[in-house]
Amino acid sequence: MNILIVEDDAELAASLAADLTTMNYTVTTVVTGREALAETARQVFDALLLDCMLPEMDGVSVVKALRDRGQMLPVLMLSALGRSVEKVEGLEAGADDYVVKPAPASEIAARLKALVRARNWTAGEGDTLTAGLIVVSPVQHRAWYDGQSVDLTQFEFKLLLELVRHRGGYVGRQMLLERVWGYDFEPATNIVEGLVRSLRRKLVGNGRADPIITKRGVGYSLRC
Amino acid sequence: MALRTLTILFLLVFGAATLITGLATYSASSQALERLVDRRIADVSSAVLSQASPGDKASILALIDTFSRQRASGDVGFELEDAAGRRLGGNVTLARPVPMGFSTLHPGDRIAGLSSGRAEMRDAGGGLRLITIIETEPIDGFTRVQWRNYLLGFGSIAAIVLAGTAIFGILVRHRITDVRRTAEAIIDGDMKRRVPRSGDGGVFDAQAAAFNRMLDRIESLLESVRNVSSDVAHDLRTPLARLRGRLQRIAGAPLADDAAIELDAAVEQCDEILAIFAAILRIAELEGNERRKAFARVDLAEIAAGVIAALSPAASESGHVLIHDGLSSVIVDGDGASITQAVFNLVENALRHTPAGTAIIVSAGQATGTATLAVRDHGPGITHADMATALRRFGRINPSRSAPGHGLGLPLVEAVARLHRGALTLANANPGLLAMLNLPLRAEGGPAT
Repeated sequence: MNILIVEDDAELAASLAADLTTMNYTVTTVVTGREALAETARQVFDALLLDCMLPEMDGVSVVKALRDRGQMLPVLMLSALGRSVEKVEGLEAGADDYVVKPAPASEIAARLKALVRARNWTAGEGDTLTAGLIVVSPVQHRAWYDGQSVDLTQFEFKLLLELVRHRGGYVGRQMLLERVWGYDFEPATNIVEGLVRSLRRKLVGNGRADPIITKRGVGYSLRC
Repeated sequence: MALRTLTILFLLVFGAATLITGLATYSASSQALERLVDRRIADVSSAVLSQASPGDKASILALIDTFSRQRASGDVGFELEDAAGRRLGGNVTLARPVPMGFSTLHPGDRIAGLSSGRAEMRDAGGGLRLITIIETEPIDGFTRVQWRNYLLGFGSIAAIVLAGTAIFGILVRHRITDVRRTAEAIIDGDMKRRVPRSGDGGVFDAQAAAFNRMLDRIESLLESVRNVSSDVAHDLRTPLARLRGRLQRIAGAPLADDAAIELDAAVEQCDEILAIFAAILRIAELEGNERRKAFARVDLAEIAAGVIAALSPAASESGHVLIHDGLSSVIVDGDGASITQAVFNLVENALRHTPAGTAIIVSAGQATGTATLAVRDHGPGITHADMATALRRFGRINPSRSAPGHGLGLPLVEAVARLHRGALTLANANPGLLAMLNLPLRAEGGPAT
């Protein structure tokens, strides 16, 4: 996947680029909004990772300029302050998702993948999603593991669905809080860990193998 | 002294002064007129008696007759009496005896063609007495005109003063209201509000300018304080994030077990510090009131139900009983995300600071314009002094700071309450703690969402 990172903090940009490269992304890094516009005119990217606060031209203006030019590539905004107004402005200008700095590279990778996948979404995929031995049906709100139906609560189902959607990658805590509970804050009580525990309990019943991989400090993934 | 009392007092003193001045002027001019009339009577009497021989009834009566026919003294009446008061002659007849010297005549004296007048009785020699009377009816007419003039003159002065006082009062009230509204807006978080200025350079204008300069100064000081805390939080977040990333990269390499455990702990500590900074930045954001722009219809009961569902697994793991009381909707105009965080913090607090087995009741209700979300626990509760500590930023009831939490949970709830022009109150529930988030109910017919 070909990604353009627009970030004026050189060290952060370098560390993100290094991390994403190890995850098999092709990364180009630029510092200003104008450079970003020039670079996106020169080559085709699968997605854009864009900092909100940039010298000369801010992130929101870059998104607007891109959309005005008819370039619809997915844009993930990076915000240092995490203010809701900033988020609303970014999304209204045409950004696709928003993440608060400092976000781990794995979380950014998961969000980028989700954005790219959403662009390539086809109607048939709506019925069931599969990750290894797990099959979920968002329409029927049902899940199966190794061919057996699993009875899940609403939150457990949403959690499993996110893990299946991001199969092959890790989903971080911040992203799960946002997608499963709709929270824009990180509670002190680790409700993500608690929910993963209860989902795991239901999945491993009847001597089945644990399909959830926990990577401390990074997130959760499904064994495929 | 209240402005109203001062105004009433001023008007009373002004009214009394006007009345006294009017009465004094009237009385002085009436006395002056009376003296003029009396002098004329005295002149006529002296003229009659100086020409007649004293005590000579016939010559006095003849002179009376002569004077009566003269035009200059045609309005003068005479009566000659003897020592016993019997009428001896003259051109008028008095119905009652008059005293010696000057006296006033009234309509009751029934003198033909005379309704009011002045009379003088003087000794005419030989036991005779001459009574001279003059009609004062034209003077009474003049008095009426004088009264009317007084009423018009003093009345218009009083009206001008009253109108002036009222206009002055309205102007002062208007200015005071401007200042009050500005102060209220600032209490409400709108630090940009200023007192409108007329630009006329008057005292009120100068006062408004000084007040506004004071507000500018307060705003810039507040802004720098706010910037310091959010700048510190923001600027420390980036190096911390780098540190976290570096630790994680090291953790990704093959390591001895104990080193991996240490690294995990270090990453966790980084996350804790980042959470504190996130809370500081969130409180700063809430205090900026920017979120008010996106206020929408929010159901507190629905939020409570969501938070209970999210925390139920944690509650059952820690052996708490989480109860949702009251299912009907309670609608407020607000920011759903921040209210959710506030309710979450309240329930989370109850879970953390009460022993296993404690029941926690979450309820949403409403009464007279206020929506209340209450979280009540049946735990040990806290003292009044501890309540104040709990509401202070970084205030920790347990001084050892070993208990979980960073002392920003309740201050954040309070910031959410202030954003919504509401309040957070803590009370003793005997037993346990009752935390209430009171927010203004959504007004009927509020903006559609």
